[in-house]
Amino acid sequence: MASQAVEIIQYRSLLRNLVAKDLKVRYKNSALGFVWSLLHPLLLMVVFTFVFTQLLDQDTPAFPVFVLTALLPWHWTSTAVTAGTASLVDNAPLINKVYFPRILLPVSAVLSTGANYVLGLPALFLFMALFDRAFTPWLVFVPILVLIQAIFLTAVVLILAPLNVYFRDTTVLVDVGLTAWFFMTPIFYSIEWVVPHLAAWMYRINPMAAIVSEYRVIMYSGGVPDPLFTGRTGVTALVLLVIGYLVFTRLNRNLGEHL
Amino acid sequence: MWRMAGPGDRSEIAIELRSVSRRFRLHHETRTSFQDWFVGLLRPRGKGEEFWALRDVSFTLRRGESLGVLGRNGAGKSTLLKLVTRVLEPTSGEIIVNGRTHAMLELGAGFHPELSGRDNVYLNGSIYGFSRRQMAERFDRIVQFAELERFIDTPVKHYSLGMFMRLGFSIAVHLDPDILVIDEVLSVGDAAFQRKGYQALRDLKARGTTILFVSHWPELVREFCDRAILLQEGRLIDNGPVDAVAAHYERMLQEQPTDAEILRLRAVDEAGTVLEAVPSGSDLRIEVLLRVPPGSGEGLLLALDLYDREGTHLFGSTGRLADIVSSASEGDPAAQRVQAVIRGLPVAPTTLTVAATLQRPSEAGLAAVDRQETEVEVVAPWSAQERGLLRLEHIWESEPGGTSRGGRAVPRVEIER
Repeated sequence: MASQAVEIIQYRSLLRNLVAKDLKVRYKNSALGFVWSLLHPLLLMVVFTFVFTQLLDQDTPAFPVFVLTALLPWHWTSTAVTAGTASLVDNAPLINKVYFPRILLPVSAVLSTGANYVLGLPALFLFMALFDRAFTPWLVFVPILVLIQAIFLTAVVLILAPLNVYFRDTTVLVDVGLTAWFFMTPIFYSIEWVVPHLAAWMYRINPMAAIVSEYRVIMYSGGVPDPLFTGRTGVTALVLLVIGYLVFTRLNRNLGEHL
Repeated sequence: MWRMAGPGDRSEIAIELRSVSRRFRLHHETRTSFQDWFVGLLRPRGKGEEFWALRDVSFTLRRGESLGVLGRNGAGKSTLLKLVTRVLEPTSGEIIVNGRTHAMLELGAGFHPELSGRDNVYLNGSIYGFSRRQMAERFDRIVQFAELERFIDTPVKHYSLGMFMRLGFSIAVHLDPDILVIDEVLSVGDAAFQRKGYQALRDLKARGTTILFVSHWPELVREFCDRAILLQEGRLIDNGPVDAVAAHYERMLQEQPTDAEILRLRAVDEAGTVLEAVPSGSDLRIEVLLRVPPGSGEGLLLALDLYDREGTHLFGSTGRLADIVSSASEGDPAAQRVQAVIRGLPVAPTTLTVAATLQRPSEAGLAAVDRQETEVEVVAPWSAQERGLLRLEHIWESEPGGTSRGGRAVPRVEIER
């Protein structure tokens, strides 16, 4: 395991180049490339705002900010999981020709979609300013949440990417799963609206519920994140990462034969 | 188990294989979707057919030596390369590699079409573990060798095949590998590039690079290698000086011709005399001499492809062998002669590479059974004021009246029995 860590450090320029390649290719074909990548969450924000404030007469203040604080990180999750799951199969020709640590492929999918998320945060800050939300010093906790989310997403794609090699319909299930996950995560509703005894379970089995709620506390409510709660989420993410890593190394062994 | 020798290991051994075996499960038996898996739960199948691509192979390659790997299609050559380069792991046995290995299994593997040549040089370098700084030091030499100075900032999707391969090859030879693994990469592409490529390989060899060279052409192996090994059905059956092993391989080929092969490919005139050059606009007659042993002709396809000097794919045509061959000639009952005639070759002066490929449908599409290439110089028929890749039929018209005809060039392929 130690020699593998050394190897990944040796290949760090590959990781950087893979992330740079993803971003370049995504933004290259149109001058508005980056704007387009933000379009999806912004459009959903408009739709949810219309549905909840006009059709359903919800009285949550600054609803666009309320929903965008959750939609942006969710967009990262859904793009990272989709791209990460496909990462090994998509790069099969390369994997079959050259040796390099294959773990870098799913990891680079998480990082490049993550870069996209971080670059989109100024749009969220703009909406916070427009709707008079408080910019508190607790914003310094946002990078910690980003790190926890990155660890969690890496754990997820380390399991899904090799699974997709053995079972090619994994992508179909992931698609369906992401839709279900979206509804089971407090994105267009608040965790406080959930029946209390189920809300506790939601936090326990869905780290995204905890992560999204923390983003919302900091950037929508201007509140103080609970360090104990955040710490627990971080530890969960790390444990999952170790499991994901073990699953990946195990499944990685016979990958070449199935691609 | 695959193991890299430690940095302190100063031994003279570059590659060592100790009873290495590799097993595959045949693909149609593996379950590739959850759907199959659930079906499998209801109706269990056997464990799946096994196939040993390599069995108990041992050899050592010392530093600075070059070793040829000979064997028929399916003898285990590609599996051996993939094991040495770590793309596959051995089922059992041990592989020790001492030094930085670079595999030329496919030129330009890992290029991203949307990125420029420049970005791809850095991306490709990093796939082999080279940092940005290390690649920057080599960048100018890579571009110069590939002759791509003008196009290095163009996305590689706009490159011709020749440019693409030149860049891939140039990167490979400039990464200063200790061990270079080559899988007949140079057998495609134009002749000028091949010559340059072989020269670069000779230079690397002269500088002490260890080379593992896989080919089914014994002449190439003789030229490049000091020693050779011979594989048959996954087992190592000979290991020794290149001349002895290559001769063994040639005897083996003659003794049991189990599959169809291309014996000879050349451009000829109507009388059957070999031509080195044809005038642009005149007929190009290509003769392919095949050996199709009884029973191996089933489903065989013969493909002819034309490439220009830059490697641009000009034309390709595939025919079912059963429809186009006339059997029996020159005493050998299995030998068959096919001629393809391209009427009024509509190509401007260039060095034309003609490739003939025997193919057979397989599970993964078409599998090449054999392939040969030859070169034909296309020369200008008369001093005409013409430019470009093609010679198109054209007429200059002027008012009033009076026409003058340009070259006749109607592309048409006929295959004669």
